[in-house]
Amino acid sequence: MSPETDLRQPVAAAPDRAAPVLRLRDIEKVYQTKTIETVALNSVNLTVNRGEFVSIMGPSGCGKSTLLSLMGLLDEPTSGTIEVDGRAVTSYSDKELAGLRNLKIGFVFQSYHLINDLSVVDNVELPLLYRPGMGGKERRQRALAALDKVGLNARTAHFPAQLSGGQRQRVAIARALAGGPEIILADEPTGNLDSVMGEEIIELLLELNREQGVTIVMVTHDLQQALKTQRVIRFFDGSQVG
Amino acid sequence: MKNEELSMYHALNFHLSSTDLQFFIPHSSFLIQFPMLRHLFTLIWNRKRANLLLISEVFFSFVVLFGVGAVLITTAKNYLAPHGFNYEQVWRLEVRAGQNLKMPRAELDDVLRQVKALPGVRTVALTSGNTPFIFNTNNSVFEYQGKKSPQANVYDADDHYVEAMQPHLREGRWFAPADDGSNHRPVVISQDLRESLFGNGPALGKIFTWENPGKGASKPEDEFLVMGVVDPVRMESDFSAPIPSVWKRLIPYDTTHWETANVLVRVAPGSGGELQEKIARTVAGVTRQWTSQVRVMDDERLHRRRYTLVPVVGLCIMGLFLIINVALGLFGVLWYNISQRRAEIGLRRAMGATGAGIGWQFLGEMMVVTTFGVLLGMLLAAQFPLLNAFDLPAQPYLLAIAAAAGAVYAITALCAWQPSRLAARIHPAVALREE
Repeated sequence: MSPETDLRQPVAAAPDRAAPVLRLRDIEKVYQTKTIETVALNSVNLTVNRGEFVSIMGPSGCGKSTLLSLMGLLDEPTSGTIEVDGRAVTSYSDKELAGLRNLKIGFVFQSYHLINDLSVVDNVELPLLYRPGMGGKERRQRALAALDKVGLNARTAHFPAQLSGGQRQRVAIARALAGGPEIILADEPTGNLDSVMGEEIIELLLELNREQGVTIVMVTHDLQQALKTQRVIRFFDGSQVG
Repeated sequence: MKNEELSMYHALNFHLSSTDLQFFIPHSSFLIQFPMLRHLFTLIWNRKRANLLLISEVFFSFVVLFGVGAVLITTAKNYLAPHGFNYEQVWRLEVRAGQNLKMPRAELDDVLRQVKALPGVRTVALTSGNTPFIFNTNNSVFEYQGKKSPQANVYDADDHYVEAMQPHLREGRWFAPADDGSNHRPVVISQDLRESLFGNGPALGKIFTWENPGKGASKPEDEFLVMGVVDPVRMESDFSAPIPSVWKRLIPYDTTHWETANVLVRVAPGSGGELQEKIARTVAGVTRQWTSQVRVMDDERLHRRRYTLVPVVGLCIMGLFLIINVALGLFGVLWYNISQRRAEIGLRRAMGATGAGIGWQFLGEMMVVTTFGVLLGMLLAAQFPLLNAFDLPAQPYLLAIAAAAGAVYAITALCAWQPSRLAARIHPAVALREE
């Protein structure tokens, strides 16, 4: 595989752009302690179609990150159903959910979440390590192709501490891309960056959505950035308000 | 990727069923596969400074376990080996003439004859003071045609010694009255001494000497004629290794300079205190000036065993405390390590690791750290067999290396087990939010 490797190559058939790739039905998430019950999400119904770029906005503590965790199958709802490609994943085991996350979902976090003791290319290879049977050569090629896509092919041997914030976020995006995911979930990807770098990252995500057809769900506080996406969903106090 | 898995992957088209996923990810969560192992080595290597303390702890644990293991294995191996003689139903009769008193041959012969005649006594034999299992040794180095022996125990023994101690003769014969006319001192040697002096060549009839015979080298009594070869013997204790040995024929022509005579008495099974009293009375009956003491050789063996075991047990207790300390240290470091790496755990879960996979990863990391420490320890431990340290054969050292490595892996796995389980239970969404 050359650096021009199409990271979406495993998808044999052309995706149906209109089909919902992610659907949340009557989702409720309640955090329960001995003394207090906190409703994080209340009756959320949300559909994300294939190829969409959706942004989620709302004040702090309104449940945006909880929603993203549920979409990323990192958490379970208290009630309601999450469907991925039309299949309810409620009854999936930890192993099956992990497999689904690995194959279909890429994550980009506000604080990058790079492993400082691994080189850039090793960080990007990380999701591929959890894909059984993939050889080292193929992993490396896919990682290099992803780094090439985000313009970091000259920094493969660097360590995260040697990179700027914008570069680190690019590495995180490359890591999300390396697995060839259908959906990228980005939790305030520009939150730790200055406006110029933030703009670069948004442009990169827009390009991935436009040219690769990657479905992106992004949590953001920045209205200007949100307005660049195809749809803005607003949350307040655990409920969808727009 | 294997062909069939690749086909499956292409066929998935992102429309996976639960069953498909079970097939696609058959056991990644429960086994550390090669790519993950390589990843862990890379991670540990890149974190070598942070892991230096852990690696050092593992290294020192290995060295301590290797040392204790080598002692225990050597001790156990010796214990299981035959003594080379029969100490059961043998008593040691010590006859004292008293300070500055003579021990005429005629009276000593009388004592031996009368004791031998007692019912229950099978045989009596004169020997030197360094009888088995007591703290009395007499050793020397011998030489044959320029070839030196290692330090060998030297015993005096009369013609009846072979009946009393029953060493196993491999070649030749024990001493006999026919040797009275020998021009050289008749000796019987142990097999290990035979090998060191004569190699594979014949030993019977050969004459060897002290290493440094000095001016009296030409004296016949300092030239030793090999009459027989016996199995290696372990006369120090139950846990001692065989020591090359020489039995010189005791010819007590004149015993007047003797203050003490050591007599081995082989008795019938079941003989006890009554016979001991009879022997003491018999000695007193010959001459009232002489005193005697009868000791059971098996009791002396048990006494020596306790004495030898004390330092070994002490070493084991010290080693155990050290290992407990190391284990607690490892346990603490791993708990801390996991609490510091919660965000990484969350990230790995998001990337596709299962809870169980995270647990195995942390366990695997500890095994990799252990491997670095063990390799360093092995490098040091390998010097012992290579340099033939403490004159021990290589086998106990090699066994100790294997045992120490196994024990260190077991200890670290035990210490890492609970923290790894804790890591496996960390909720990914919570872990990712914490940073």
